[in-house]
Amino acid sequence: MLKRWRTRILLFLAVLGPGFITANVDNDPNGILTYSQSGAQFGYSLLWTIIPITLALIVVQEMCARMGVVTGKGLSDLIREEFGLRMTFIIMVLLVVVNFGNVIGEFAGIAGSLQLFHLSKYISVPICAALVWLLAVRGDYKSVEKIFLTASVFYIAYIITGVLSGPSWHEAAVATIKLPSRSAWQQRGYLFMVVSVIGTTIAPWMQFYLQSSIVEKGINIRKYPATRLDVIVGSIFTDVVAWFIIVACAATLWTHGLGAITMPADAAEAMKPLAGSYAFLLFAFGLFNASFFAASVLPLSTAYTVCEGMGFESGVNKSFSQAPFFYWLYTLLIAGGVAVVLIPNFPLVQFSIFSQMLNGVLLPIVIIFMLLLINRQDLMGKHVNSVWLNVVAWLTAAIVTVLSAILTYQQVEGFFRH
Amino acid sequence: MSEKHNGPSLSLLLGTPVTDSHGELLGRLKDVAVATGSEAGSIAGVVLKTKAGLRLVRPTEVSVMASGALVLSSREALQPLREDDNFLLLRQDLLDRQIIDVHGRKVVRVNDVDLQWFSREEKQDLRVREVEVGLRGAIRRLLLGVMPKQAIDRFARQFPARVIPWEFVDVIEVDPARRVKLKIEHERLAQLHPSDIADILESLAPAEREAILTTLDEEVAAETLEEVEPKLQKALVESLSSETAAAIVEEMDPSAAADLLAELPDERSEAILEEMNPEERQEVEDLLEFREDSAAGRMTTQFVQVSFEATVSDSVEALRVFDGDLETITEVYLVDDQEVLKGIVPLGRIVLAKPETRLAVLAEPRFITCKENDHQKYVAELFDKYNLRALPVLNDGGQLVGVVEADHVISFLRDRI
Repeated sequence: MLKRWRTRILLFLAVLGPGFITANVDNDPNGILTYSQSGAQFGYSLLWTIIPITLALIVVQEMCARMGVVTGKGLSDLIREEFGLRMTFIIMVLLVVVNFGNVIGEFAGIAGSLQLFHLSKYISVPICAALVWLLAVRGDYKSVEKIFLTASVFYIAYIITGVLSGPSWHEAAVATIKLPSRSAWQQRGYLFMVVSVIGTTIAPWMQFYLQSSIVEKGINIRKYPATRLDVIVGSIFTDVVAWFIIVACAATLWTHGLGAITMPADAAEAMKPLAGSYAFLLFAFGLFNASFFAASVLPLSTAYTVCEGMGFESGVNKSFSQAPFFYWLYTLLIAGGVAVVLIPNFPLVQFSIFSQMLNGVLLPIVIIFMLLLINRQDLMGKHVNSVWLNVVAWLTAAIVTVLSAILTYQQVEGFFRH
Repeated sequence: MSEKHNGPSLSLLLGTPVTDSHGELLGRLKDVAVATGSEAGSIAGVVLKTKAGLRLVRPTEVSVMASGALVLSSREALQPLREDDNFLLLRQDLLDRQIIDVHGRKVVRVNDVDLQWFSREEKQDLRVREVEVGLRGAIRRLLLGVMPKQAIDRFARQFPARVIPWEFVDVIEVDPARRVKLKIEHERLAQLHPSDIADILESLAPAEREAILTTLDEEVAAETLEEVEPKLQKALVESLSSETAAAIVEEMDPSAAADLLAELPDERSEAILEEMNPEERQEVEDLLEFREDSAAGRMTTQFVQVSFEATVSDSVEALRVFDGDLETITEVYLVDDQEVLKGIVPLGRIVLAKPETRLAVLAEPRFITCKENDHQKYVAELFDKYNLRALPVLNDGGQLVGVVEADHVISFLRDRI
């Protein structure tokens, strides 16, 4: 009996891979900040977004995984081959800027989380950056994947925090499946928060990263059902974590009227007197794990994606002189991210808004390209989207596009009002 | 043209208006068609998009004006472009695609194609000179439409060019029917070292790998497959039909073939074995019996053995008729009539000895062997301790069954680093 359970668990773990990792990296400091804010400001009333978001995430991620398995090519490769050099160039420039903004967010997360343990950012950030750089350059995909999977497990920290915060389970459960009353919608900033939560959950880089990882793993179409399961499990787990972050903040900060959070570390700090030091420790540790994890993935994924699309040599198994552009881009993204976090008085918040804005511009383009590619018979053969999947996918694309546009508009407006 | 190496680039040429001699617009340049087959590599014509559809014009029928516009000698030069024409279209099939740089032995992506006007028999003709894979080609394409073409060209020349001469370009075509039609045979690629071909395969997508592997001749395909990393090896063979796979596996070294088949699902490896020659099949099946990490699992069954009584000239004859991979042979094995190993003679000694010398005289007094079931770690230790190049594997009766070669040990050791 025990043995059967063991095999079951092992089988389940064996399935976990790129899909699970990608979905988890998505809960990076920017994501955690958004979830914390929504919990702190609006309590349980935003929990209803989790289920539709999860569905959208699954639909989009599944398409990438399928394209990777069937064509054996990365998304940027396909965009280059089917839409030409100029389109690829524009997308890549946008992607680099957006991802650089995210990288800064990750390093700011590292700085913030370790400051909670009284470690100066001038020590923690450079050391972590060096570790991140080495991890990718010195490790091979197999071992790096294992490290990442282990890191994903630490997200459980947030689930435990959620439990420790002593929420009202009944209220939380009802809010998850029921749309909030009209009065909730009329709160100031509520719609903006809805849009932010959705925007932070589906990011353009994920599609490129997931597809490349799947290509690199060399998964063939017969093993595809396992990969699909990986994507689904990953998306669900990620959003369960998001749910618990919202609940933890709702049960503590919102209940006590402490709504104002501007940095992801603020939530942990504010939680300390309310939910005890264990919750504080777990929240802070979770934040560090998420930041470090995302900081390891994003710069590398960006360098790979750009080189793939533009036809530069890439890969950590190549030497610096063989793939200079790849290494320069990778190193500059990390070094730049560190520098920005360490420069005193850098307009961090404005820059993050700016990159979120470009995120909103880029995301619909990427999703639409994906939809055009995945419906091409000559590329996908019989694995093109089915009719109902297309309906769901185009609907997702349309909603995401509209929401991104709203978000971008609000941010631009807010940007100029300041 | 006076400036020979300042030919037009494909990206700048596309969209150029083409007029007749009276200046009436006939159409715009849409693509450039390159011939295949006997005329392979030369430009068959430029493709024009006219109101009546696509038309093909031989480059000798057009002349270039100072403005860059093209003028047709006569309207009769317009030929309809037929569906079944066997042309490689530069824009459609080459631009933004991956090609193999046979000289540089790697896969690159095409940014632009450099063409060149040259004079032939009093007429000017067009040819493909090289493929641009660097910044210069990219800049041209990015700026197109933003700046006037001449300005783009001048500006782009400020950047270093990374080009691949046309004769080193190997086009990858995934569609088998079209591949046959266009006669894409990868002859030049086939001349590379199998390890280099393997590296190239590893950087391609599955469909492209398959396209190349099935086009290569079976012997080259087999040697390439031996060099590909195991995971990919498995994926490649699984994508081939059993028949094609069997033809390639037959040509492989039996031990490599056995290692490969052991990795495949049972029904698949059986299907492949079924299609193989009885003789090679037997050899591979025998090897499949052994554990992969044992000496017998690592050994090859292709070695040179002669009778203990034999002379140097007998051994040279045996080498001559040996049908395995001759480069890997470092020694000749002496056996009695029961096939029991009696001595080992290094190749060097055979070369220096007189033809009538008996091999038994040349043999080492002591020699190192191992058992079929010895672990490969132990085999590696023996190689290190006794500085071996090859190690004979004996069964319980002392009979010679195979030889572990140094490269098998090296690849095993590398896996452990």
